[in-house]
Amino acid sequence: MISSSVAGIVFANAHDETIERLTKKRSIASVPFGGRYRLIDFCLSNLVNAGVSNIGIITKEKYRSLMDHLGSGMHWDLDRKSGGIRILPPYNVSRVRLYQNHVEALYGAMDFMVRCNAKHIVVYDARTVANINISEVIKTHTSNNADITVVCRRGLEITNGDNTMALDVGKDGRVLLTGFPAKIAADDCRSMGVYVFDREKLIDIVKKSYETGGDTINDDLISANLGTLKVMAYEHKGYAAIMDCPKAYRRANFELLNTDVRKDLFNRERPIYTKTRDDMPTRYGTQSSVTNSLVAEGCVIEGTVKNSVLFRGVKVEKGAVVENSILMQGVTVNENAQLDKVVSDKNATVNAGMVIKGTDEQAFFVEKNQTL
Amino acid sequence: MIKKKCVAMLLAGGQGSRLGVLTGKIAKPAVPYGGKYRIIDFPLSNCTNSGIDTVGILTQYKPLELNDYVGSGKPWDLDRLNGGVHILPPYQGQKGGDWYKGTANAIYQNLEFIERYNPQYVLILSGDHIYKMDYSKMIEQHEATGAACTISVLEVSLEEASRFGIMNTNDDGSIYEFEEKPKNPKSQLASMGIYVFTWEKLKKYLTEDNENPDSDNDFGKNVIPLMLSAGELMMVYRFSDYWKDVGTVDSLWEANLDLLNPNIDLNLSDRNWRIYSRTVALPPQYISDTAKVEHSLVTDGCEVYGALDYSILFENVTVEEGASVDYSLVMPGAVIKKGAKVKYAIIAEDVVVEENAVIGKDPSEIPPEDFGITVIGSGVTVGKGAIVGAKEMITEDVKKEEA
Repeated sequence: MISSSVAGIVFANAHDETIERLTKKRSIASVPFGGRYRLIDFCLSNLVNAGVSNIGIITKEKYRSLMDHLGSGMHWDLDRKSGGIRILPPYNVSRVRLYQNHVEALYGAMDFMVRCNAKHIVVYDARTVANINISEVIKTHTSNNADITVVCRRGLEITNGDNTMALDVGKDGRVLLTGFPAKIAADDCRSMGVYVFDREKLIDIVKKSYETGGDTINDDLISANLGTLKVMAYEHKGYAAIMDCPKAYRRANFELLNTDVRKDLFNRERPIYTKTRDDMPTRYGTQSSVTNSLVAEGCVIEGTVKNSVLFRGVKVEKGAVVENSILMQGVTVNENAQLDKVVSDKNATVNAGMVIKGTDEQAFFVEKNQTL
Repeated sequence: MIKKKCVAMLLAGGQGSRLGVLTGKIAKPAVPYGGKYRIIDFPLSNCTNSGIDTVGILTQYKPLELNDYVGSGKPWDLDRLNGGVHILPPYQGQKGGDWYKGTANAIYQNLEFIERYNPQYVLILSGDHIYKMDYSKMIEQHEATGAACTISVLEVSLEEASRFGIMNTNDDGSIYEFEEKPKNPKSQLASMGIYVFTWEKLKKYLTEDNENPDSDNDFGKNVIPLMLSAGELMMVYRFSDYWKDVGTVDSLWEANLDLLNPNIDLNLSDRNWRIYSRTVALPPQYISDTAKVEHSLVTDGCEVYGALDYSILFENVTVEEGASVDYSLVMPGAVIKKGAKVKYAIIAEDVVVEENAVIGKDPSEIPPEDFGITVIGSGVTVGKGAIVGAKEMITEDVKKEEA
């Protein structure tokens, strides 16, 4: 069984800046997504569905909302005597500065890596939304006798190429070259920010890289070792989205309105778990009109909703119209208000009759708890 | 064991035969309700909201699904170090054992369980009512009056009174007579099947009742009259909020649709009195371009391409394009295929209604005496174009285009 031989390490804060309005007061891992999820749900569920139940979560700042969400780990079946989730906040000693990059962060998690007693470690960037069959990835990694396996996807829509590694993959699946779009223009194969490492090799290269001032996983743990370690690619064929800019975040939310995307992402064999609440089912009123929308529980809809994603507990009152928008938990849209191309953070209120419009390029953003 | 002030005992062993095919495979308290709940969520949530953290659940009939559902009690915050929820099935002792013969016998067989907590009071509940009630207020009254037993009552109309157990009381609320389904009721105070007993008294009378070979060992029929005749102080506790017995198909259907009635105060997500349930994380519901959803409740995991009016979809239900669901309950996992029509019906779990099938009848289509709710039992497939009439209860697959 895989469970004891694989541990997971999740980066909860990596690339917080890419969707900064939503990460002002939370880590990227706890950014709400898809009506009822947080980004980290996809990563934790994929790991759990592969039997990985010893997971360290590296976080550095703004982690209160993440800790609220995770609780004891019960919702992912991760409240375990052995293993479960371990939040790894900075172990701050005044003489040492807070870690600044992936390599330093992994070095900070050295205790976890040394003690976890696994053969492999899955390292996972929480900003990737996909239903990845991690069991298969590990199987491939093992049968390839690889030191590192990079999960990649062809044809990923990338807006912000700077932090999404491109791969040049040989016929045998071996990673020949990595770099950024400028360097490897021809190949559209991208890393999804999910890797399997041989644990001992990982410890070794993290130590070495740390001592020589290493920075990123891509450059300093992978590219730098292409010659000495066996680095393989695993191609994920299902749906994938990487939250590398606000536009990508919006696009991925709206992609859930596509039935095929939902079927793939919410695969019944490998469910996506999340924290559940005790909301009532959603109530649609006598004059409500809802089309092409994803709606979570606990909403009360009396008005019109089109092409939108509504999180739990959203209220849309009579005469209000919500189009092409993403409204997070607890947002209230009062009578006759009109919203088009809006992204609203949690618990915001739009007063009666207000008209708010964003554009395709840039959504109108409403802050958490804001009243308009 | 740390002493508890009050232990609740929940009678969940009845077959609920009046629910017909809906309880063919599950005990009544496990019957789905309101989109994401089960009937048992109500007494369990009421307990936890009332500060009662020790609950024994007496099971007997088809307990598998109920046991799974209750589990450790976590969803109701009843997984406690001391107390918590306990499933109590009939058991064998050194001198043999027996099935639970009646409601009182079920409690009698578990006196030992209650004894461990040595409570002052025992609250007896049943698993077939939809209501929100603060039991602590009832216990407070019980304590203040010093009664041996307090029975929760609801004022019903005189016509309805002959369907209930009726309490005839003095001006001070003390009971002088109990009548089961009286033809000519003297009072409108109907028992809700919720009792608070002083522990010592309960023990005494259950033991006495058990020694009587002629007794049916039933609370209403035997124990309450026995205590009255012994001259114990028995009080009523008046309750006036929403309460509904969901023992029949019609009342279950009604109690569900009550959630859509703006004039009925039954808010299940009231932060001050939430009804908890065991929920699975499912994707949000998807309402498509072709859907028309009005006046309905829809739960996570549903995919709606057709039309809904005055209906409740439980989790993971699919309603395909051109299908319509009116005044109906569609329980978890059911699929209503293209062009099918469902009206005034209860569709149980995992039913498949094939294309263009028609289930149920609108009351305007038929004479009133022929009208009734249609029920399709769990796992049944209703074939293409098949027609199922009013009041029918279906347990076997229906072939296409036959009634």
